Amino acid sequence: MGLALVALVVFLAFRAPGFFAPGNLRDLLVSNAPVLVASIGMTLVILARQIDISIGSQFAIGGVVAGLLAKAGLPMPAVATGTVAAGAFLGALNGALVAGLGLPSIVVTLATMVLLRETLRWATEGVWVENLPAGFQWFGLGQGPGRVAVILASLLAFAAFAWALRHVAAGRAVYATGSEPEVAHLVGVRPRRVVFGVFVSLGALTGLAALLTAIQFIDVQTNAGVGLEMKVIAAVVVGGTAISGGRGTLVGTLLGVALLGAIGPALTFLGTEAYWERALEGLVILLAVAAEAFGRRRK
Amino acid sequence: MKRPILLVVLVVVAAVVAGACGRSEPTGSQLTVAMMPKNKGNPYFVSCRKGAEEAAAELGVKLLWDGPTETDPAKQNEVVEAWITRGVDAVAVSVENKEAISTVLRKARTRGIKVLTWDADAEKDARDFFVNQATPEGIAAVLLAHTARIMGGKGSFAIVTASLTAANQNEWIKHIREELATRYPDLRLVDIRPSDDDRKRAFDETQTLLKVHPDVKVVMAIASPAVPGAAEAVKQSGRTDVKVTGLGLPNASRPYLKDGVLDSVVLWNTMDLGYLTLRAAFALVKGSLKAGDKTFAAGRLQTLAVDGDAILLGTPFTFTKANVDQCDF
Amino acid sequence: MRVADHRFRFLSHEALLGAFVLAEVAYFGVRGVNFFTVGNVFEVARASVEIGLLALGLTAVILTGGIDLSVGSLLGLSAVLMGAAERSLGLPVSLACLAGVTVGVLGGALNALLVARFDIPPLIVTLGTFSLFRGLAEGWTGGVRNYTNFPESFLFLGQGRLPGGPPPQLVLFLVAALFFWLLLHHTAVGRGLRAIGFSPQGARHAGIPVRRRLALVYLLSGLMSGLAAVVYAARLGQAKADAGSGFELFAITAVVLGGTSIFGGRGTVHGTLLGLAAVAVLQNGLRLADLPAELAGLFTGVLLIAALALGRLVSRRSHE
Repeated sequence: MGLALVALVVFLAFRAPGFFAPGNLRDLLVSNAPVLVASIGMTLVILARQIDISIGSQFAIGGVVAGLLAKAGLPMPAVATGTVAAGAFLGALNGALVAGLGLPSIVVTLATMVLLRETLRWATEGVWVENLPAGFQWFGLGQGPGRVAVILASLLAFAAFAWALRHVAAGRAVYATGSEPEVAHLVGVRPRRVVFGVFVSLGALTGLAALLTAIQFIDVQTNAGVGLEMKVIAAVVVGGTAISGGRGTLVGTLLGVALLGAIGPALTFLGTEAYWERALEGLVILLAVAAEAFGRRRK
Repeated sequence: MKRPILLVVLVVVAAVVAGACGRSEPTGSQLTVAMMPKNKGNPYFVSCRKGAEEAAAELGVKLLWDGPTETDPAKQNEVVEAWITRGVDAVAVSVENKEAISTVLRKARTRGIKVLTWDADAEKDARDFFVNQATPEGIAAVLLAHTARIMGGKGSFAIVTASLTAANQNEWIKHIREELATRYPDLRLVDIRPSDDDRKRAFDETQTLLKVHPDVKVVMAIASPAVPGAAEAVKQSGRTDVKVTGLGLPNASRPYLKDGVLDSVVLWNTMDLGYLTLRAAFALVKGSLKAGDKTFAAGRLQTLAVDGDAILLGTPFTFTKANVDQCDF
Repeated sequence: MRVADHRFRFLSHEALLGAFVLAEVAYFGVRGVNFFTVGNVFEVARASVEIGLLALGLTAVILTGGIDLSVGSLLGLSAVLMGAAERSLGLPVSLACLAGVTVGVLGGALNALLVARFDIPPLIVTLGTFSLFRGLAEGWTGGVRNYTNFPESFLFLGQGRLPGGPPPQLVLFLVAALFFWLLLHHTAVGRGLRAIGFSPQGARHAGIPVRRRLALVYLLSGLMSGLAAVVYAARLGQAKADAGSGFELFAITAVVLGGTSIFGGRGTVHGTLLGLAAVAVLQNGLRLADLPAELAGLFTGVLLIAALALGRLVSRRSHE
């Protein structure tokens, strides 16, 4: 998969060098920061042998929460905390059903995806959250520093979780839970707690992603995030994390986000018609996972 | 062995009782008009609903407002079927798929239900009247006129649309292409990017567009979430030589109109559209509006022209910095 | 202990779901207007056939412990190519339908190849084909092209009424349901599928040709997408790139609601049919009771969780 990225980079360098202009790269970083943040959480969940297809709906709610909190007059740090907390709460819902009741995560999150989105639609009727205070956009820092803040926030979250996965017991517990839950018990890992924890983490990170997206604008769209789960899961899987749990790295996820995030803009730079984009995306995903399957077989 | 059956019977009886309690008693002579937007979650349609409710209150009509919560090509048919089953006096639909909806609308007509289309039309023989706020040609013409004006008659522009399959937008694009060939040979349409009705996507696509095609001077955003998305992208890029125009809602457009990035927004009074539709539906049922009429008295909208089977709300309206404060939706 | 078993056998998932559907029907029969009429029943059936066909194919797939997220997208691709065959190539409509169904089978073959031959997890494969198929449909039509004006004889299949009132596509659906019922419940192949879902290794050791069976279910799923595409085009009178968007979620919901375990090894065709009925009745009932459409989504989500939780409770109890 790293090869695929390199190939893409080389190809673009020849055909559309404009892609690598610093302005464009910076914009791509800012644009994909939220996807990266959510993908961190999804990696944890998939490592633990679960899945969450409701993050799109969680994302939508997160954005609305951020907007409403800001409108209520809270200072931005409180808005940020509130949004992340709301995300964590939604994640806890999923976690409780999966870890607590032992229900299969794909179906639980299918249910919560529909439930959350339709409830949000009913409550908001599609009306955007508008007339936000001036300090909302870019956290009140202005465009330049604001962009840096978004990129930094995503990279910090990435670094923190990447380090924790390796070096903190809780991180290793995730791998243990995903690969051998029965054995994990014997080494003192509580699979249920781990599973609950990863869903809460994903929820919180999705909330963060929603915040980082919302503050780039001056108002909040109330049905954002449609299709986010597919995008994020594809990035995680293309990045080498096994859907059967226990195997994968956050660095892989980073590369997956980069590859899939670059396709759209790359195609625009190459002058491809927009209506071929989805087909090419699907092809890239299939090629990446097929290549990985082959690679593993060889070993 | 008998216990489970008893349980089932109990559950069924409970359900029947619950149903009976919830049922609202039909109010005799009250007319029921069923109105359907393209999708319920779009603020554009939320404002149409307000107008319709205003008219319903004025006339003492029961308004049923329902439709797909997402743009689903097949759902509209099912909703109309349900209304036919339920029995309503009139159905008014903002059509997502012309060919698909026409069959079920024709069926409604054979059952004696009056059928209107509004905002977007079905096939002619499938409805009694079409409440038209603006023809696709008219909309395309105004959009191009603004684009040409901004660029002084020549230059390159790009379009950010809803989704690639969106019927209305594709209709406008078709007419735009035709007009470009006949009336604006010096204007060049460089690219069409989808936003999938997502503001962030419109933002990202516009950002990329500006870099890939630095010669583009106008971004025409023809979906309501795309207007603020494109405008924000142009604003953040610092490209003061690029302007945005398009079709969108006043509230979301206001900040960008005020600071100049967004030049103009084409629309019409959506509340009036909803109001007029309901009034027309009522008149159709009562018989005061019939085929061959040349005018229609529409309550507070006074007398409007009827062109064949189309009731015209007026011409597309352009919001600019100067007049955008007049409206709130 | 035997007494406990005996009593709880009546609390089978399908029985509970059946009772729920009855309750729904009773509630909406009273609360809704004209809900409990023959005409309405047929119309609900008409609108549910496409999803139903997809759900049948998915039942077999999920029974083996797999999943197919691409069914809706494949429906779109099949519909569009069928439309192209009829309108652009001028093929007679029956051949065009065959073309559409063939596209479905070919799509299923791609999934089958990647899952059965290359051992790539079905979730990922079908996530990729979910985008690929839809993308091909969009690419082919440029997003814009909408195939319409099909001959009346074809449209009758989707929009007409047979003597007595039932919609023609219902016949197709019943035949398909019968086929799957026989396959999954009364053949060695069906038992083999269950075994694979239960334990692929175990099935292999028992001599079941696992790869071939897996390939079969994905091919069948593709076939169902193709058939559903034909019905869709006949019912709506058009074939556009967005045909079938969102159908996969609805279909999976019906299957899981019906008691088929997402992990594989357990599930029934009648369960799927009940699950389908539960959601279709809910949607239709809410409309006829003048209640907003969002409630359908809300209740479906709650219903799904309740069904899962209940299923869990029942299976725990019956093991005591």
